[in-house]
Amino acid sequence: MKKLLNIQTYLPLLFGIGSAVILIGAWWGISLLTNREIPSPLMTWSVFNEMLATPFYDYGPNDKGIGNQLISSLIRVFSGFGLGSLVAIPLGLLIGSSKTAFRLINPIIQILRPVSPLAWFPLGLLAFKAAEGATIFIIFVTSVWPTLINTAFGVASIPQDHKNVAKAYGFSRWKYIIKVIIPFALPHIITGLRLSIGVAWMVIVAGEMLSGGVGIGFFVWDSWNALSLEKILSAILIIGTVGLLLDKGFDWLQKRFAFA
Amino acid sequence: MTLNPISAPVDSASEFHKIQSRPASIEVKNISVAFKTPKGTFTAIQDIDLTIQKGEIVALIGHSGCGKSTLMGTISGMTQPTSGTVMANGNLVKGPGPDRGIVFQNYSLLPWLSVYQNIYEAVDSVFKGKTSAEKREITEENLKMVNLWPHKDKLPGQLSGGMKQRVAIARAFAINPSILLLDEPFGALDALTKGSMHIELLKLWNLDNRNKTIVMVTHDIEEAIFLSDRVVVMNNGPAATIKEIVDVRLPRPRNKKDIVHDPAYMEIHDRLMGLLFDKFSIEDD
Ligand SMILES: Nc1ncnc2c1ncn2[C@@H]1O[C@H](COP(=O)(O)OP(=O)(O)OP(=O)(O)O)[C@@H](O)[C@H]1O
Ligand SMILES: [Mg+2]
Repeated sequence: MKKLLNIQTYLPLLFGIGSAVILIGAWWGISLLTNREIPSPLMTWSVFNEMLATPFYDYGPNDKGIGNQLISSLIRVFSGFGLGSLVAIPLGLLIGSSKTAFRLINPIIQILRPVSPLAWFPLGLLAFKAAEGATIFIIFVTSVWPTLINTAFGVASIPQDHKNVAKAYGFSRWKYIIKVIIPFALPHIITGLRLSIGVAWMVIVAGEMLSGGVGIGFFVWDSWNALSLEKILSAILIIGTVGLLLDKGFDWLQKRFAFA
Repeated sequence: MTLNPISAPVDSASEFHKIQSRPASIEVKNISVAFKTPKGTFTAIQDIDLTIQKGEIVALIGHSGCGKSTLMGTISGMTQPTSGTVMANGNLVKGPGPDRGIVFQNYSLLPWLSVYQNIYEAVDSVFKGKTSAEKREITEENLKMVNLWPHKDKLPGQLSGGMKQRVAIARAFAINPSILLLDEPFGALDALTKGSMHIELLKLWNLDNRNKTIVMVTHDIEEAIFLSDRVVVMNNGPAATIKEIVDVRLPRPRNKKDIVHDPAYMEIHDRLMGLLFDKFSIEDD
């Protein structure tokens, strides 16, 4: 009973309401200042509700529900991200444990990492002869780096103590990888994956604007062509929320696999 | 039967332990170890010669930082000497091997493995020919020996310092090495647990007909005398050497309670105190 009356219990909720008020207030202000050229939260809300009422309708290739768009985007993101992780984790384990591999591969990482995802798009088109493949390719090529770098860093920072155990008790190479390297690097790997999925989710919108088809990025572009700013704002909210959920998911994983 | 860990006789055999006629187990020949540091090379130990017979228990004492762990490292093969050689069981030491079980000063447990797995993985790695049932049995036996069976599923982070130390001891014992290298193995234990670990150590040693060679670093003079055949006293570093080797000619089995009244014990005790504290006198008025 005492707990229910305690202000501490409600603080997170109060702060949550507080940030919502600030966001909506600022949005409203901007909407008023631009003479409703930017739609107000209320106008957006009704469109948003309409969109969510029938998320999976399908009226042909250029008119699909927001749920369909999201699913298409998520499939692309997870394909590119999954492929990227399949490359990044083993490669990271390798360059983290071998100085030679690190010195050979690190310069390549340093040069390729800062390249904008859009610069890869034409190469993707050339390689896959299709927009779909090219989009997954740019997700792959941009989401590979955080996981790769974090994995390598994790492996390289294994304390001498842990190496000593493996050395003193003659662990085989395989046992060393499975029982020492991977468990130690796992929290770092998950941090990398968390950063990578964030990058992938940012890149998908830009990628789909270029590639067209079905997807949340294309939906934003299509809404712009139809001059529906309410839809664009709704899409931004949805993109943000999905991004947050993805991040929370990996945050949960991170906590789940933290030892000690 | 009630077991009083402090005063119970520790050995069953009564014949005096004869070691001088046995073959050498560890031969440290003219070892020096220098570390490269940002400020130049630092010589930790220099020109150390030490031969330890098979079945001998030797204690290594000296002030903190004098190089005890470094010397142990050269025997275990974890540290490469800058010059000199170490032979273990007649073979040149080039690295660690399953004939030498190590208890590291800082326990060195893998924090993501349970107490059980920490031991099992070592056992699994050393006894490649054994079935997994046999390996599980060895693990269980050794965990029970250090009274940690009820805690087998805990992670090292959930253990006290003394419990971690006992896991490290069980792991070294579990691989049944002919040489045990213990770096302050009982340092974090309370007097009572320490006492029963001493008994366990000696039991293990007796079980194997006193064929195991044991080298242990300790800061505890009573422990050194109670357990060992010889106490190696090291000089302070840098470039530490062996200051003196004190023989402990006390008959076994030794009884912890009675031994302290033995004049020979007191003489050794005084000698060691003198060697360790010759430079210090307490100014007090
Ligand atoms: N890897 C290293 N690099 C540089 N110096 C080292 C290294 N390892 C040990 N030393 C130095 O060598 C000396 C001996 O260290 P060592 O750990 O052998 O001492 P110790 O006698 O075991 O001390 P303690 O009783 O505190 O454990 C110390 O001065 C230490 O600073
Ligand atoms: Mg030490």
